[in-house]
Formats: sequence, C-alpha cells, structure tokens
Amino acid sequence: MTLLRHLRVLDLADGPAGFCGRLLADLGAEVVKVERPGGEDSRWIGPLRRSLPDPEESLSFWYHNLNKKGITLDLADSAGQALFLRLVPHTDVVIEAFPPGTMAGFGVGWETLHAANPRLILASITGFGQTGPRSRFKSCDLVVSAFGGHMFVSGSPSTPPLRAAGEQSLYAASLHGAIGILLALRKASRSGQGTHLDISAQEAVVSSLEHVLVRYVFDKVIASRQGARYWNGSFAILPCQDGHILLTPLQRWETLLQWIAGEGMAEDLERDEWQDESYRRQHIGHLLEVLGRWTRTHRARDLFELAQLMRLPWAPVHSLTDVLRDEHLRARNFFVDVPFPRAGESLAFPGLPYRFSSGPCRPFQPAPRVGEHNRETFHRTLGLSEEELHRLSSLHVI
Amino acid sequence: MPTGILAGVRVLDFTWVLAGPYATRILADFGAEVIKVQSARIARGAEDNQTGYFQTWNRNKKSITLNLDHPAGRGLALALAAVSDIVVENFSPRVMSNWTLTYQDIRAVKSDVIMLSMSAAGRTGPGTDWLGFGPTLHALSGFTYLTSFSEQDPLGLGVPYGDVISGLYGALATVAALEYRARTGQGQHIDLSEYEALCTLLGPSLADSSVTRQPGRPQGNGPGEVPAGPHGCYPCRGKDRWCVIAVFNEEEWAALCRVMGDPAWTEGFSTLAKRKEQATELDSRIGEWTAQHSPEEVVAMLQSARVPAGVVQNAEDLFQDPHLAARNVFRRVSHPRLGETASDASPIRMSGERGRTWMPAPLLGEHNRYVFRDLLRLSELEWSEYVQSGVIG
Repeated sequence: MTLLRHLRVLDLADGPAGFCGRLLADLGAEVVKVERPGGEDSRWIGPLRRSLPDPEESLSFWYHNLNKKGITLDLADSAGQALFLRLVPHTDVVIEAFPPGTMAGFGVGWETLHAANPRLILASITGFGQTGPRSRFKSCDLVVSAFGGHMFVSGSPSTPPLRAAGEQSLYAASLHGAIGILLALRKASRSGQGTHLDISAQEAVVSSLEHVLVRYVFDKVIASRQGARYWNGSFAILPCQDGHILLTPLQRWETLLQWIAGEGMAEDLERDEWQDESYRRQHIGHLLEVLGRWTRTHRARDLFELAQLMRLPWAPVHSLTDVLRDEHLRARNFFVDVPFPRAGESLAFPGLPYRFSSGPCRPFQPAPRVGEHNRETFHRTLGLSEEELHRLSSLHVI
Repeated sequence: MPTGILAGVRVLDFTWVLAGPYATRILADFGAEVIKVQSARIARGAEDNQTGYFQTWNRNKKSITLNLDHPAGRGLALALAAVSDIVVENFSPRVMSNWTLTYQDIRAVKSDVIMLSMSAAGRTGPGTDWLGFGPTLHALSGFTYLTSFSEQDPLGLGVPYGDVISGLYGALATVAALEYRARTGQGQHIDLSEYEALCTLLGPSLADSSVTRQPGRPQGNGPGEVPAGPHGCYPCRGKDRWCVIAVFNEEEWAALCRVMGDPAWTEGFSTLAKRKEQATELDSRIGEWTAQHSPEEVVAMLQSARVPAGVVQNAEDLFQDPHLAARNVFRRVSHPRLGETASDASPIRMSGERGRTWMPAPLLGEHNRYVFRDLLRLSELEWSEYVQSGVIG
C-alpha cells in the first residue's frame, strides 16, 4: 500500500508548478491533471523527445506529470465550471497556479469551493502570493529569482547576476506546497475544516538564501557574488585533464600539501608562510594557479576518489551525461524507465530521492495523454451518460 | 498548552548544520515538539547556540545535552526515542551505527517510529560514505555545470540550495509517513539522498540528455527550452544594480518596445525567431536602455505595461521590500543573548491559522530538566548522578 493512497487531488497547475501534484502522485495520491480541451500550453514546451508538433512529445510536460491521470475541462465555459464544481465534493485537494483572481473569475474561487466541500484544501502557487502590492505582477522564474534574492549572489564578481538552472523557484514553491497540503490534511482530519494555502515562489526563494539573510541580520553584511569560490571562499573549481574539479583549497592544508608535494608539484607552497590560513586567503590567486597546474595533470574522477578517501569534500563538476552514467546512482536504481506507450519504448527519468522501508512508492506511470481519463472520471465518478459526454465533447467543454 | 497542526508530535532531533535543521524547523514551526540532542563538544561553529546562524535554523526547538559516547547516554537516547514519534539525523551513514542507534535499535523500543536519515548520497551504493557540503552536491548533480555562462568556467549557485531542498524533501517524507502511520499503525525508515534530491530538480534536462546523449548546455540567464526572448539580466543605473526582463509573446514585445520609446533598432527583432537568433545583440541594445534607469524605474514602467520584469534584490533590498513587509515575511523574536533577531517565516501560508508566537532557539541544554525530569521522570538522584558523571551536560 502506498503512503498517500487515499488522497484525491485535482491539479489545475500548468508548467513547473505541476511538480507539486507530481510529488503527491509519486507517494501514491490519485492526482488528476485538469487541462483545457486540446491540452495545456506546456505540452508544447521543450525539451521535446522528437521535434514533432505533437502534445505527447514534451519531456518537461512528462516530467511534471508522471504518475497522474488526465482529464480535459474548459474552466472558461460555464458548463465546464459546473462540471468542475461537481468534481469538488469527490476530491480532497485542488492545486492551481493561475494569476491571483483567475479562479474567482471562473466562478470557482476559494469561497465557492469551500462551500462545495468544507474540508477541501486549495493550494494556490504563484510568483508573489495572493496578497500584497506585487500580487498582480507578471511573473516567471527569472523575475521571481531576481526579486527573491538568489540571483544577486550567484555568478562571479565579473559577470551579471546568474539564475539557477531549471525553474527552481517554482520547484521550491511546489515542495513547500506539498508539505503544506499534507499539514492541512492533518488539520482537516481533526477539525473538519479546509484550508486555502497561499504559496509565493518569491518567499520560497527567500527561504533558500541561508547565509545571505543570516549575515545581514546579525553582521549587517550584504552578500555579493563570489563565483565558484562560494560565499566563504572555501571552494574553488579548477580544470582537469577531462573537465573540472570542485575542491577546497584552504581546508586540511597539511593533507593537501602532502598530496601535491608527493607528486612534486607543490612549487613554493611548501614555504612556511603558507601554513597560515590567513596568508593562504590573501594569496588565493597564486595558490589556485599552482593547484591548477597540478589538477590539469589528473582526471577529475581520480582526484575526487582520492580526495574522498582523505575526507575532503571534493567533487567532479558533472555534466548531465556524467550524472546519467554515475555508478553510485545506478547502484541505487535511481533512474526509472517509464514506458512511452505509443512509441513502444521507454525513457529514463530521475526517480525519487527517498526510499521508504514500508509503504513503498508505486512503479512510475507515464504522464496522461490529453483527456485520457475523461471517460473514467466523468462517467464513473460523476455518472454522466454516454450522450452527455458526447455532447460536452462536441461543445469543446471536455 | 501546545498549539499548531503538529501539536502532540514529538521529534528527537540529531541533526546539525543546515539540511537536517531545515527539515526539523518546518516541523517545529507547525507545532511539533522538537528536542535537539547536543553536547558541549559539538556545540561549535554552526552548532554554537549563541550564534545568529544557530538561532535562525533552530527557533522553536528545545535543546538537551547528552554524551552519546557513554553507554548511559545511549540508554537515555533510546528512552527518549521510545516516547518520540519521529527521529531525524543527518550524519554520515556510519555515525548512528557507531552509537548503536540504528533504525533497528530504535524500532526495538518504539515499534512505529518514523526515522528520517538524510545524507549526502544515501545509505546504499558505492558513494554512501562521500563527504559533501552544498557545493559538493551541486557539482555532482549537474547544477554547477548548468548554472554557468560557459562550459569552460563553471560557477554554480551562491547559496547551499541542495541542503534546503534536502530539508524540504525530508519534511515532506516525514509528514507523508505520519499520514501513513495514522492510517496503518506502521512506522518507517526513510533514506534520503541530497545528491538525488538535486537531480530530481533537473528532471527535464536529465531526461533530454538521456534521449540525446548530449552533456547539456550551461543556461546563463537565457530561457533554456522555454520560448522567450528577450530573457536576461540587464545593468541599471547605480553600482551593481540590475534588472531582469522576460518576453513570452508578441504582445509583451510590443509593450517593451513602446516603453523603450519604439527605437528604430527594434524593427530588426520583430519575431521570436529573430530575437533568439540575435540574442547577444538584442541583450546589449536592451542593456543600453536599462542602464539609464534604476531597476525600480525599469520594473515599474514594464510591469505597468504588463511585461514580466524584476529587480535583482540584495539582502538589504529584501529587508526593505514593501511586498515582503506587507506579507509579514520577516518576523522578530527576542533572544536572551543575541537580543532582537529576525528571520523569514515559512512560505507555507494557511488561511485560518493565526501566526504562532515564535520561541527563540534554545540555549545549550536549556531543556535538560524538562526532558529528563518531567518527560523521562528520572529521580532527582538519578538526574544528579548523570550530570556529575557527564552523561548529561
């Protein structure tokens, strides 16, 4: 039996915010993705499996919607709205990521949903939240990463601020949303009262800043970009024969010096003044030049393995193909093959970051095709007749 | 009287530094009783109770001191586990084994315990003993490679994002396991890998690479696969002041041109294909315009024309941000040694939940008496013997 087997979710969130429902689906919840007739916009956003104009080819849509079911329903249409409201008593959670006010404009705002099902949890995931002067701003991951404070401290002193790869603000917001949904579920099971969750991606970014806020509050320091050196200067990235290694140039000096000197590449670093950490910090440029001449004579993987044996927290800078080939991840069966039914093949996706000793997660299911579960949902759950289904379909409501 | 959604849930917290404390802080913020196990020996650096760092990640928690290298210390830890619902640790996988405080040991005294073990790379596999901090795991996962302007000069992230993500996944797994336990009576051991947690957040890129067998391309501030252009970060008037602008459709492009005063050069960029092809030239043209204004001016003009744009905010900007202030993000709490402190509230905002009053992070061993005398009901004699022999304290 899966962890969240009894949880029923209607998921209106398009794009990366669909990751919130995905997190619950992975743990066993029945998550039904609700798309507009013809399919959501994100079905056409890459990366594409093949460059075909086809709603079943988007790998990002797939990744955000694995393990979900899918129905189509036009919320801009009054018949669609009525149908949606009939589904609400049969669900525990609704997730949406429209600009604030959109749901109310469709006649399915929080008050209406709460009246239709007092225990319902509505999770709204937006750039800036439902309230406050910036709630109506146009947002996207770039805008939120800037306003959230992450960009200012990523990148190097000689580059502009740098956005994290992927659409991280919405993934982080999705994680907060999924935790919030399960907390609200606990509340509903005790008090019978539902909850409207207001998740702001900007706040999700703010809550990932660690040293940036702590140093401002307690030391009045405004953190700036330090490139690969990291905020405290304790790391560096240097080239190898075959890529790059992330290393710690200041820490455990005796060990590091012995290693390099043993290979005859320490140059002047054996002189006494280098024993002093503050001297090493002051002359970091020269230190990294010498270290760089040494790292270039090695493969990143070899340095990594030796460093780890000496308990130095180094790592190769993996490209995506390096990650996919990594023997450690393979030994843990991290990647999962998801069947791609139409093509008769399967694709490797990252699996789950956790293993549960009981209550296993279920095998991965493909993302739904457009309207794949319309019949099952509208016919079986709501008892609509074949004629009604046909009529709604011809009116483009479903 | 305990309040909050997790009132009545007790967490025995062996975590340290960031990933683990981030997970248990979420549980504490929502009312769980989190008892942090410390010792005078390890209460240094990030674990020094008197620092702002410790205060930030350990608000709303309790602290006890226990010498786990002493057999009686282990006995008291097990006695505490027996009256707890959740045990969380983020040591290297062998540390809890060395103390003989494994899941099996703890389950023997508390059959339905939920134990969360967070580590760099997970509890199995050839890399199980890898030592890693945030940047180590960013490098392994592909984040550092992709978050750069070129393959030749990997940069990576300026914050320990992996620790935060691992903390979020840890809290999610724990509340899901609580829900499962309520229904089935069964506990759980959860093995969480920070390396894998980061990989899940590069899902579309990794899936693409598994199809194309390509190493991936550093994204800089470009749109990646999302059809957008311009999409970048631009210099503004002032020292180290920047804004971002993203245009997803022709309506937004027309609005951007209008705000810039419809300069003649924009005619060469009339389609998305042209804007993507000549992105470098487009970005420098836009940068010439933004450089004449403060980021606040650019963003006010563009947002009122319905173009996505944002200010690149630094730490000081965040604390003066009127939007975050209106949403009461930074909350103050008074700490007996540090005085007035501030930290960011959980982004999990619930209707109908009154903001709970925060407790400051505990002083070292502040709750020894409560935990050992009131909770475990040690006699005054036992208590003073444990204190004298250094088992407690």
